[in-house]
Amino acid sequence: MEHEEHLSDSRLLMAIDGELPERDAVRAAAHLAACWSCRARKQELEGAIAEFVRFREREMNAPVPPAAGPRALLRARIAAVTANREASRPWAAFRIPTRRNDAAAALVACFCLIVVAMVMKDAIATKGATAKEWTRRAPAVFVPDAHLTPGATVLVGRQDVCSSAAPKNRMVPVSLRKQVLDEYGVGNAEPRAYEVDYLITPALGGADDIRNLWPQSYAANGWNARVKDALEDRLHDLVCNGELDLTTAQREISTDWIAAYKKYFHTDRPLGIAQP
Amino acid sequence: MQDSQSPSNVFAGLPAIAADRERRASVLEREVVELFDQLRGPLFRYILTFGLPVQDCEEVIQETFLALFRHLTLGRSRRNLRGWLFRVAHNLALKTRLRSRREGLAPAEAESPLDGIADPALNPEHEFQNAQTRRRLLTVYQALPEQDRRCLSLRAEGLRYREIAEVLDMSLGSVSVSLARSLARLTRVSEL
Repeated sequence: MEHEEHLSDSRLLMAIDGELPERDAVRAAAHLAACWSCRARKQELEGAIAEFVRFREREMNAPVPPAAGPRALLRARIAAVTANREASRPWAAFRIPTRRNDAAAALVACFCLIVVAMVMKDAIATKGATAKEWTRRAPAVFVPDAHLTPGATVLVGRQDVCSSAAPKNRMVPVSLRKQVLDEYGVGNAEPRAYEVDYLITPALGGADDIRNLWPQSYAANGWNARVKDALEDRLHDLVCNGELDLTTAQREISTDWIAAYKKYFHTDRPLGIAQP
Repeated sequence: MQDSQSPSNVFAGLPAIAADRERRASVLEREVVELFDQLRGPLFRYILTFGLPVQDCEEVIQETFLALFRHLTLGRSRRNLRGWLFRVAHNLALKTRLRSRREGLAPAEAESPLDGIADPALNPEHEFQNAQTRRRLLTVYQALPEQDRRCLSLRAEGLRYREIAEVLDMSLGSVSVSLARSLARLTRVSEL
């Protein structure tokens, strides 16, 4: 075939992508060696690919959030699936029925604990080193002042907080943040020493209200903001799985979050963290 | 945790079976988590092209990997799990989008994630040119038919034509035609 027809864009692209059957690939390569215009077109297509790849890298990489949280959630869900399957197996019927569900629940709970511990380990590994430096200079606040921060909620039900459109943790506006720090007398502290945090997280119906905001220390050890975040996730899961009443969750986290943590994580100390 | 003695209620011999099943489940779990670590990014970027909000994308991916766990637990085919994951994620994303459109929640088109991202390494003139090229690329990209955009995204995530054809339920030939068509339009970006 001396005067072979030019290669179409899709043939050229298949040649670039190594998608041509071997015979066709050999023929295409021979044609490309002989034909300048096809070679130029091939380069244009390759240029467009390169341009598109760069474009995608810039546009698409930014929004992918970190994997640690979702990975932990996936493991907990897999554990739940395994537990349910366990319970629905024929031989499982030999067990005393009332205990069957308990066993499944216990299994899920154990996995959740492990998962949360792992997530927190990750979080500390990435942020712990810098946290140590600046927490040294700031007074530690681990428990909110009940007068300044009694906690405030908006009127929502379980369905609202568990729907996919439910509010996630929001950023606290700068002006409000300043007010809260002043209120607690730590207005001059290193800003990164504290997370101005919702006492009752919006994910559990907490309000955007100064009575529901307090400065929580990021101190690397002990009962810090990251530990409370873990409790919030745990309570949210329990509420949405129907294992805990929303108002109970709100009450417990606002009266004594550390006690709530100990209760729901069955532990005396923050998991995954060395005792201070 | 009042159930600490419940394993003893299982008949003798059964604990061994149970232990074996648990071991298998944990092997599968590890495999699924490994695939999750490998493919969450690519799947996430692909799902974003459906114009879903980030938390919906996250949920689609969770469901996808849970489905994979069930799929493997049932001993179903392990052929080309990457293609399988993309296909399941694709279908779940369509379903999610349909549902949220019905509830009037989702935007009809993906918003541009482009605004406000600047490359700090460039001087102002380059940055301007760069921004212009990006804007043009984005315009061309967004004007592509949805199916062509999907093809392009999947190919950019490294899928082979056969895998793309499976995910999007189209013929091998239409995959190469679609990709060539999109790239032909993109080659014209520099001439705009």
